[in-house]
Parts: sequence; structure tokens; C-alpha cells
Amino acid sequence: MRDYLLTLLSVGLAALALYFLTVSEGTSGLLSALTLIFIWGIAAISLNLINGQLGILSLGHHGFMLIGGYVTALLMLPARERRPFRTRLLSDWARNHLDLDKWLRGLGLDALANSIDAKFIIALFIAGLAAALLGIIVGAPSLRLKGDYLAIVTFGFGEIIRLLPNAPEVAAFTNGPLGIKGIPGNAGNIWWTFLALLLVLWFFSRLKFSSYGRAFEGIREDEIAAEAMGVNLAYHKILAFTISAFFAGVSGGLYASYLQSVDTQTFNFFVTFFLLVAISLGGLGSITGALLGTAIVVLVRVYGGFLEQPNPAWVGYLSGAVLMLAAFAFSAYIRKARRLRPVIEPKHFIFGAVGAVLLVITIAFFKQPWMQQTVQFFGMRKMLLAVILILIMIYRREGVMGRAEFSWKLIIGPREDIPTDEQRKQDAWLSNPDLNPGLKEDGDDDASA
Amino acid sequence: MPLLELRNIYKAFGGLQAISNVSLTVNEGEIVSVIGPNGAGKSTLFNLITGVYKPDRGDIIFQGERINGLTPDQVTKKGIARTFQNLRLFTHLSVLDNILIPQHHRLKSSWLAAVLRTPRYVREEEEMKKIALEKLSFFGPRLMSFRLHQPVYVLSYANRRRTEMARAMATGAKLLLLDEPSAGMNPKETKEITQIIRRFRDEGGYTIVLVEHKMNLVGEISDRVVVLDYGVKIAEGDYKDVVNDPQVIEAYLGRREE
Repeated sequence: MRDYLLTLLSVGLAALALYFLTVSEGTSGLLSALTLIFIWGIAAISLNLINGQLGILSLGHHGFMLIGGYVTALLMLPARERRPFRTRLLSDWARNHLDLDKWLRGLGLDALANSIDAKFIIALFIAGLAAALLGIIVGAPSLRLKGDYLAIVTFGFGEIIRLLPNAPEVAAFTNGPLGIKGIPGNAGNIWWTFLALLLVLWFFSRLKFSSYGRAFEGIREDEIAAEAMGVNLAYHKILAFTISAFFAGVSGGLYASYLQSVDTQTFNFFVTFFLLVAISLGGLGSITGALLGTAIVVLVRVYGGFLEQPNPAWVGYLSGAVLMLAAFAFSAYIRKARRLRPVIEPKHFIFGAVGAVLLVITIAFFKQPWMQQTVQFFGMRKMLLAVILILIMIYRREGVMGRAEFSWKLIIGPREDIPTDEQRKQDAWLSNPDLNPGLKEDGDDDASA
Repeated sequence: MPLLELRNIYKAFGGLQAISNVSLTVNEGEIVSVIGPNGAGKSTLFNLITGVYKPDRGDIIFQGERINGLTPDQVTKKGIARTFQNLRLFTHLSVLDNILIPQHHRLKSSWLAAVLRTPRYVREEEEMKKIALEKLSFFGPRLMSFRLHQPVYVLSYANRRRTEMARAMATGAKLLLLDEPSAGMNPKETKEITQIIRRFRDEGGYTIVLVEHKMNLVGEISDRVVVLDYGVKIAEGDYKDVVNDPQVIEAYLGRREE
């Protein structure tokens, strides 16, 4: 009950903060970053269900997102965008009949058809269903494979799905390589993505802490044991795959709506790669981690721009020096915390030395022209991301959150897995013959036996 | 009617005849031990019963129903559960989760009901927790309090063994196949396990087939002992008769050169 109220309270606070962001000036950059975090967060959480909770490496997520994106785009495309010169590869049939507006009016649901938001919800749902259907089609044959083989097969399927819209026969539905433009930008409104993310968080945390979620994790931990304990492997794998594909489709639809256009390059393999980086950063198997990892990656990409600005060369030297010295200090700190001797590993003096030399160079040659000239490093954002990933893999391989999930119990207790003094005493009584005379007799028996 | 009946089972891996013409009946409420030298086919026999392997020939009949050809999860649903020789627990999950997963196959609610937490699902979940605690109470209070929420990897070896046995029980099986339940345990823990296996039968009403190398454990609790050697059943009967059987002695110790 307490936890429930706290959750409600924090969601309310988050909504309030979002509200102030939307009404204040000059926050459009932050808002679009948040929108991206929410959309990619949904995709990352859904990929996490397969890769983290079920323990299967799937590389075809971009395919499901693409299906969702295209379905949403086609269903939502307003009448003026459907004119032949705009969508000249689209067949007349697709142009005239794949229209949610017409469907709803045909069913006599004019009230729904008049509201673009209601239409968007329905379109997203259909997009999810289409992706889920494809998930079953892809999953059923390929989930009999394991490990690397499965990864390759899912990657293959993902690429097939991605390239399919370009094929002339399919272009009648997808407008080919031109893509579809002019999709209503509902998801550009942050409340859409925020609510969608809340719903996804609710759904996936409920799923994770249900009997089905436990079965998924059992499969991840030990497939043979899970099967021996009565878990139907095929059913649960396909179930997880389908659910994951559904939400991938939804996030694809949201993204297409956010961009207001979709083509085959919108969802290329780097989408899956990006999501994989995000969930590995945050912690495979953790919903919180997936969201956290996405936030880190998106923020680095959006706000890492200053790294690629032109700067005088001394800034580069100075930051190099600071980084090296920081690494030196960090290693000493870690080793001290872990009580390793010596506190400073001899090899790590290299970091300190390089840092010191760079610092000296910066100060000594500060006035020199080559120190003042402007240099610019492109691709620093991606490098920063890579460095973060390397550091995480070295120092905390399981990701920031590991498999742990955010919960109020973790922060303010009570922690059920940590014994109270009472429990400790009882435990000692169970195993220590000095405290428990009954145990001693047994022990004597054993000695003679 | 016997609970489990193997009729002339054959299984070969390539050219190796791992099990040939083994027949075995296990009656309800019995403790049957399968012993034999290394490589005799004991674990293969377990894998055949639980559906990991399919027999080349022969029938496996459980409660009057043919179960060969079923997958391991279907066999478990029929009522046969096993433990593994080298523990196969869900290492990163809590003890409680480990005991809840084997009850998953009895869940009637769909996944959507589970997400929505319908009243029926909540009731089933509570029932599952109750059964889990009941099974763990077989091993005394040591796994019941804070250890219930600890991940398995922090447990001691003996506690992991206990958890695995509780997990097998939680499947709701009638027949437990225990693959070396006392492997890696000290004499005191072995003794405790011996008592627990007996209590499985007496209090829990389970029928037990076990593979074991510790002869004092086998002698103490078995109603019947089956000896395998090179995939062939060479002896069956009372512990005392079996260990004095010349064929069994030969299988274990070899033949004396005359």
C-alpha cells in the first residue's frame, strides 16, 4: 500500500514536471529528447523481454518496429497525403482502402473517426497486432534454434522485413523506397509518449512479477531445468516473442508519428544495435535498467554535441589530462574500496604520468599558436558512448542495474532478503551445536558412524 | 497396478548401447535405488523416463498410461519430477521463485489474466506460495525466513540440494527421481537427507527412485535395489541379497584372476 502510494506520487510529480516543461519557454530540445527516451524506452523494454528476461539473443527488433511504423503510417495517412502524386507507388487499392478513417466510418463509428487521437490509439493497436503476428511467423520456426544460430536467424528475418518495402510488388502497399510522408504527428506531443511509456512500464512489470515472468526467467537461467519442471519451452518462448513484437510495433508506430515520415532507413539494423547497447548498459533483464540505459544513450546523443564543437587545442589537451588523472584517481579509489594492496597498482601510474605530462604541456605551451588554434573532433559522441560501454563492461559487466529492478523496498526497506538480528540468532541456533544441545547428539552419532 | 513400469527399454547412442532390455516396475510408496558403476546407464535411464531421450524400443508406462515420446514438460505434468546430478537450479532467482516456477504448469489463468491480476490469478498465486512454503518446511525452518528471498547463488551447497528437492516436489509429482541426492554432502548432511527421503515417502506420500553411490544410504532406505552394468540390469532385489550377488561384485570390483 505504501509502495503503491509512493509510485502514484512519483508518477504525479513526473507529470507535473513534464507539465512545467511544456508550458515554459526554450525547452523544446529537452522535450524532444524526452520524447525520444520514451519511444526508444518502449522499444528497449520490449527487446529486454526477449534478450534479458528470456535470455535469447534476438537481433531482428528493427523489423518489428518497421512493421509497426508502416502500418501506423498507412492507417493514419490523411486524405490529402493520399493523392497519387504524393504516393505514386502506392496502388489505388491501398490508397483507397487501407484507411482507418474509412474503416471507422464504414462501421458507423463517426465519433471515433472524428478524433485523431482515438484513431491514433486504434492504429497503434493494429500496428502492434501486425508486428505480433509477424513475431509468431518469425518466432515459430526460428525459436527451435539456440544461441548464436538464433541470433543470426532473427537478424536475417529482421533484414528481410526491412528490405521488403522496397520490393516492387510490396511497394503497392509501402510506397517503396520513397517511404510515406505526412503522417499526423501525434507522438510529437509528449503526453502521448509519456502515457504510452507508463502503460508499458505497468504492463511489463506486472508481467515480470507474475508466474509467466518467472517462467521466462527460469528459461533464461536453465532451459533444461525449466523444461524438467514443466515449463513448456516452445509456448513461453513464442509468447514472449509475440508480446515483445507487439510493443516493438507500437514503439515503431510512435516513432513514425514522431518523425511524421517513415521509410526503410528509419528502422535499419542500427536501431536494434542501439537498443542492444541501451539494455546492456542498463542491465540485461531489468526493466528499470532498459529505461535507464536508453536515457543515457539518448542524452549522450542529443546533448553530446558540445564534444564535437570547434575548440582551441588546449581544451583537448586539458581534458585529456583531466580524464587521465581522473582515471588514475578512480583506480586508486576502487582498489582502496576493495581493500586491494598496493592501493596504486604500478601499471596505473602510466595514467597518472600521462595525465601529468599533458597538464604540464598545456600550461607550458599555453601561449603557443599551435595550442590556440582551433580543432574539431567529429564522432566524439559515439566515442563517448563506446567508452561508457567499455567501462561498464570492465567494471560492472551486468550493467548499471544488473538484474535488479527499481522498487521502494530496495530504497527504504524492509529488505526481506537481509536477515534481522532475530533471524540471525535463530539461524545460528540451527547450525551451532554449542547453542543447540539437540544438534550435538546428532553430531556425536555421526562421528561414530 | 504399478506406478511406473518400464518394459524392455533399449537406447543406443550411435554404436554405444547405453540401455538394453531393461525392465523395471515401481509400486506406489516404494523407494527403489538404481546403482551401478560409472557409465552403467543410470542417468540415461532417468533421462529416458523424464522424456529427455526417447527410447529406441520398449514402453514406459506411468499410472497405466504410455509416456514415452512425451517431452520433459509433459512428463512432469503427468506427475514425474526429477532432481539433477549436478544441480540445475535457477541460480539468479530467489529460493521462493525457484519453488514457484515448477508450479507454473498448474496455473489456469492466461498470461493476460496474470498481467491484469484477476481475482482468480491472485488466488492461484497465493495457493502457489502456500504450497511452496509447505514443501520447504520439509527441510526445517532454515530456508523459510530470510533465505526465501535470497538468490540461490548465495546458498550453501547443502541448502541448494534441499532447494532442488523442494523444487521437484513442488511440481506436484507423485514420483520423484532423485539423481544422487547426497552428492557432495558431509556425513551429517547425508544422514539428514536419508531421513528426509524417508519422510518424503512416509509423510509426503511420494514414490521415490534414486540413483546413489553412497551404499550406506542405499542400504538404509531402499525397499528394492536395481543394479545396472553396461546398460543391462544384472540384479534386482533386497539390498543384502544384491550386494552379495557375485555378478554385482564382479561389476564393481572386477573378476579375480584365477
